[in-house]
Amino acid sequence: MRSMISAERRRTLSLATLTVVLVVLTTLAGCGPVKVVVDGNFPPPLITPLPVNLGLWYGDDFSKHEFFDEATGRKESSWIVTTGAAQVEMWNSLLTGMFTKVVHLKDKPGPVQNPTAVDAVLIPHVEELQYSIPAHTSIKVYEIWMRYSFELVTPDGEPIAQWTMTSYGKTPTAFLQSDQEAVNLAAVMALRDAGANFADHFTEVPGVQEWLQAKGVVSERATR
Amino acid sequence: MNFHSLRKIVLCVGISLTSACVTSTVNEMVFNEPIEGIGDSSVVILGRRHASDYETEPDFVACVSDHIAAGDKSITMIGELEFLNALYPWFEPRTAPLRPVDIERMLEREVVAEKLKALKLEYIIWLDGSTVRSGGSGSMACSLGGCFGFGTWSHDADYEATIWDFTDQVTVGHVNATTSGQSYMPAVIIPIPIIAPVQGTACDGIGEQLLEFLSSEY
Repeated sequence: MRSMISAERRRTLSLATLTVVLVVLTTLAGCGPVKVVVDGNFPPPLITPLPVNLGLWYGDDFSKHEFFDEATGRKESSWIVTTGAAQVEMWNSLLTGMFTKVVHLKDKPGPVQNPTAVDAVLIPHVEELQYSIPAHTSIKVYEIWMRYSFELVTPDGEPIAQWTMTSYGKTPTAFLQSDQEAVNLAAVMALRDAGANFADHFTEVPGVQEWLQAKGVVSERATR
Repeated sequence: MNFHSLRKIVLCVGISLTSACVTSTVNEMVFNEPIEGIGDSSVVILGRRHASDYETEPDFVACVSDHIAAGDKSITMIGELEFLNALYPWFEPRTAPLRPVDIERMLEREVVAEKLKALKLEYIIWLDGSTVRSGGSGSMACSLGGCFGFGTWSHDADYEATIWDFTDQVTVGHVNATTSGQSYMPAVIIPIPIIAPVQGTACDGIGEQLLEFLSSEY
């Protein structure tokens, strides 16, 4: 009889412990940062490809790019916005459509490496990312702003051109749409905008323009 | 009075009681209407997204497009996202033409001109505006026993549609819809929202005028 009571008591105790652990875990999970892994579909560009064999190298700062914003007050949440995978997807889609051939390099171009026959290597970086949500501002839009820097180098790592570029995306508040969904949409818009900015202005970048002219490449924009 | 008649009356009274009032003004100014209709050509409605403090809602753009497609099934409407993806990146907020004369510059890109020709695009309609909540008052307290109180708020919608004739590269019309409405939520144990369909009314107003312009049947 004593052993039966003790077994029942142990079961009750372990159930209570499990409940307490679950409540604590749930509470702690509620205190964690808001996470957004940016996910979207990026169409190929409608553009006549430039006759250039472009090497492409993504550093970890780019392909695993993550933005962390720590909450400054108790009423605010910390945010982690992971854009790396979406960056790679968008830029792969855009650059593959913009150039006749794109080669993904495993190593950063330099004098030691001897990469496959490419005309130049493009190295993109995400320098800065800022975001705002309606809780931060008085307007009912979610915004993402990004600043990129690009290096165009020769296959052995000699610089051809270096420039920066900004992009911006926003999305309105919508019924039954969470903050995470809206920030994701704004980030997708910002990535599309980055692609539009790059496609529209690449051939005008000082350094790139001279390099293309030296190679005898005539862009559509130059003919207009 | 039989059961069916009673049910209809109860339904009508119910709908009347649960719909708040909306006031709407629609102004229209159009030229060169396609009297014979647009044949097998297509139309796209795009949201203008250049303002910094608001954004034309994609849902509203889809609503107007659906209204036209439902009103005249012979009109080919191209979906906004489908069009933006097909012509990426030339209709993004950064690169989209701001005036009809900018179309000429865009068509200098051979692949863009070919794509637009394949789509048989005749009209681009730009929608610009938004619906905003303009005020609210009242209070409501909820507990385990239910909710008690009264809340009211208003919405204002202001949209303008600008019609571009793609072939002639000119603006052929403007349609403006201004709508406002007051919504209510009385609560005696259960809150009952009585929502004013402000955005829906603006959609119907603009959609109807655009349908009159585009369709030979109206």
